[in-house]
Amino acid sequence: MKNKLLIKMIGITKSFTGVVANDDVDFDLHAAEIHSLLGENGAGKTTLMNILAGMYQPDKGTIIAGAQTVQIRSPRDSLKLGIGMVYQHFTLIPNLTVLENLMLGFEGGLFLDLKKAERKLNQISVAYGLSIDPHRMIRELSVAERQRTEILKILYHDSDVLILDEPASVLAPVEAEALYHTLTLLRDAGKSVILITHNLNEALAVSDRITIMKSGRKAAELSGGMLAAMGASAASDKILGLMFGAIPATAPPEVAPVLEDDPLLELKDVAVLNDRGQIGLKHISFGIRKGEIVGITGVSGEDQRLLAEIIGGQKRASAGSLLYCGRDITRLDIASRFELGISHITADRINEGCVLDMALSENSILQSYYRPPFSRYGILNQSRIKSFTDDLIRRFGIRAIGPDAPVRTLSGGNIQKLLLARGLSGRPGLIICNSPTYGLDAKTVRFIQDLLKEESRRGTAVLLITADLDELFSCSNRIGVLFNGEIVGLMDRCHVTAEKVAKLMLGLS
Amino acid sequence: MKNINLNALKPAALSIVSILFSLITGGIILLIIGKDPLHYFSLLFARGLGTSLGVTETIIKMAPLMIISAGLLSCFSAGLWNIGVEGQFLIGAMLTGWAAPMLSAALPYPIYLIAVLLLGITGGMVWILIPAVLKARADLNEIITTLMMSWVAINLVTWLVKGPINDLATVPAQTKLIPLIYRMPPIPFTRIHIGLIIGLISLLATHWMIKRTTLGYQFRVMLANKKAARHAGMNVARLTVYGLLISGGFAGLAGACDVLAIKGLFQGNWNPQYGMTAIPLVFLARLNGWAVIPLSFFFSFLAVGGEFVARDLDVPAFFVHVLEGMTLLFFAASEYFEK
Repeated sequence: MKNKLLIKMIGITKSFTGVVANDDVDFDLHAAEIHSLLGENGAGKTTLMNILAGMYQPDKGTIIAGAQTVQIRSPRDSLKLGIGMVYQHFTLIPNLTVLENLMLGFEGGLFLDLKKAERKLNQISVAYGLSIDPHRMIRELSVAERQRTEILKILYHDSDVLILDEPASVLAPVEAEALYHTLTLLRDAGKSVILITHNLNEALAVSDRITIMKSGRKAAELSGGMLAAMGASAASDKILGLMFGAIPATAPPEVAPVLEDDPLLELKDVAVLNDRGQIGLKHISFGIRKGEIVGITGVSGEDQRLLAEIIGGQKRASAGSLLYCGRDITRLDIASRFELGISHITADRINEGCVLDMALSENSILQSYYRPPFSRYGILNQSRIKSFTDDLIRRFGIRAIGPDAPVRTLSGGNIQKLLLARGLSGRPGLIICNSPTYGLDAKTVRFIQDLLKEESRRGTAVLLITADLDELFSCSNRIGVLFNGEIVGLMDRCHVTAEKVAKLMLGLS
Repeated sequence: MKNINLNALKPAALSIVSILFSLITGGIILLIIGKDPLHYFSLLFARGLGTSLGVTETIIKMAPLMIISAGLLSCFSAGLWNIGVEGQFLIGAMLTGWAAPMLSAALPYPIYLIAVLLLGITGGMVWILIPAVLKARADLNEIITTLMMSWVAINLVTWLVKGPINDLATVPAQTKLIPLIYRMPPIPFTRIHIGLIIGLISLLATHWMIKRTTLGYQFRVMLANKKAARHAGMNVARLTVYGLLISGGFAGLAGACDVLAIKGLFQGNWNPQYGMTAIPLVFLARLNGWAVIPLSFFFSFLAVGGEFVARDLDVPAFFVHVLEGMTLLFFAASEYFEK
């Protein structure tokens, strides 16, 4: 059966400061289908859907809805076209009831016709298995119920296209099953669903069609029928290849053997809560020795961030302990850890790693401003700061007008170089690098990887957190995989294949 | 130094243009209410700047504006918005009015003077301590809390001066008069009290602190990117308290100076509302201490001139507040067009 084409996105390109999020992406949506958008963290799935939902404007590209080209300038435009999106962070108003939330922006006249609205809500609830008490306040609802309300809100507005961003990530397995059931009911009733996910099993379980994205580009589009014919394991192998690119069969022998030594940093059964107060990471136990690069990968950007922050000190462990040089640092704050020689280079280089509107020189002392020679008795030594920055610019080949230029004028790659230069200048004992080459051009990627390798040869311990398997394999001495908040398997580089890592990342064994 | 680049002058140009626009719009308003704008403005300049009395008064009024602005500079540079300067000013003034007559009897003059000024500073700091701690601990919006504390202060000092600290010997609600010899000394050979010098020093010291010290550096990082400040390990909560305490302290100091130098006592219904002027002023100066000096001269001239002209032309003295408000509006608009 051939369904009617509902939405066609052609050649969508969108870039943010220094990063190309979508590069010439095509996307088709048919009527009455569940279409999964699959890819690792940062592959550009959410950006593409935000464009469809009117949150962003594409730099280039066309969107065709029905028969005509449309301009989607705001979420309101998107809603008018019958497209609604459920975000990972919900947008309901906590102090209103379910019903009042549904009616927001939809009231029409001066008075609310609650009776009529309630009748309509009940019809939708029954039809799609989305039971909810319309008179409860949002703040009293569980996460699953809030998600249900979000979906109801879109259906209440008579939308035909639902976009769900990682819906299962906040749900318990049973709740996720119920959600998938609802999605099938919606499809059977003629609605279309776009499911953004990095979970391969989820995509395989419910989709009629899967579009795979890799590094901002569309890697492939597969139909559900074809995947079913291939059988589950062959299908997941094929998708693995598409998601992670060609998987190197054997390990390139580039990596030096690890010095046998006591670990410099040791994590013992560490757990940490995420920003929503749920358990983010649990049972994290591993060590990093001097002169080795431990590579950690995983599909969830949040888990990776938590791991970096728990060591850098931006997050405190809710259980377990951390030892650095044999000293317990579990309760130490960021500055004291930095003082001990732990340098954390964040993945969010634009929002967290630098101050865009301040000069390079002022950014280069962001953590060490209180130390001589940058300051004495609380007074900054401008000329020393400037000459220090000049030195960084020269040594690390940062392309900038000079130390006085605002960081805003730098490209993404040069901002990252500045962050690394700053992090390495204090001669740290341990560097935590989260996604250091994400979104950068090949030359800068190479430069940064060489820098990390050189640093490790000098005896520095490096924790490299990356979603890029090539990088993981070419740099790490040991490789670990984060899945569902735990480290599943931490293996020596020579005993592991990329295929095994890719499977662990997706929870396949 | 040959190429003092034009970009550096652009902010100054924008401020001057907004002032001009507000004067023009003010003229139109005067026309509408049936007054001759040219007559008003020429009289304004003649009274405010044309006589030695006008100039002296203008310069005297600069002192509290500059002292308060010094405090606002440091908290605004940290992205902290202390809108309740008025309250901190009044608490500082009230404490001074109450304590100065007693301390003057007990202490030698220089120590007395320093003690009273410190008391004013402490008063302002205490008054902003609650909003500061709430902001640091619970991220409660300091714009609202400082503003509310201002209203509490206005009513508190009015009550205190009617009861507990009232000078029972006089009829109006006020504190004991500070004897003339215990007032703030003037700058030699002038009628201008040394508050002006305190103001200049405060302003330039704060400017230097913001640009050249680690504390000021942390403030600026906090303003530009709080996330980066946190990530780098700066103690944002502590910096928040420091920034607000500094601004409260300067407001209290301004209150102490005005009571010691000009009023000689504290009265219940006295509230010069310098905050209303200082806040737009610091924005117009684009958080630059040097720029505050000419601007505070201009605003103080407007206030003095406006008061003189009010009697002659029957245009209320409040009209200069209208001019100030419009200056800020045009300034905000100019920032928008600049983008």
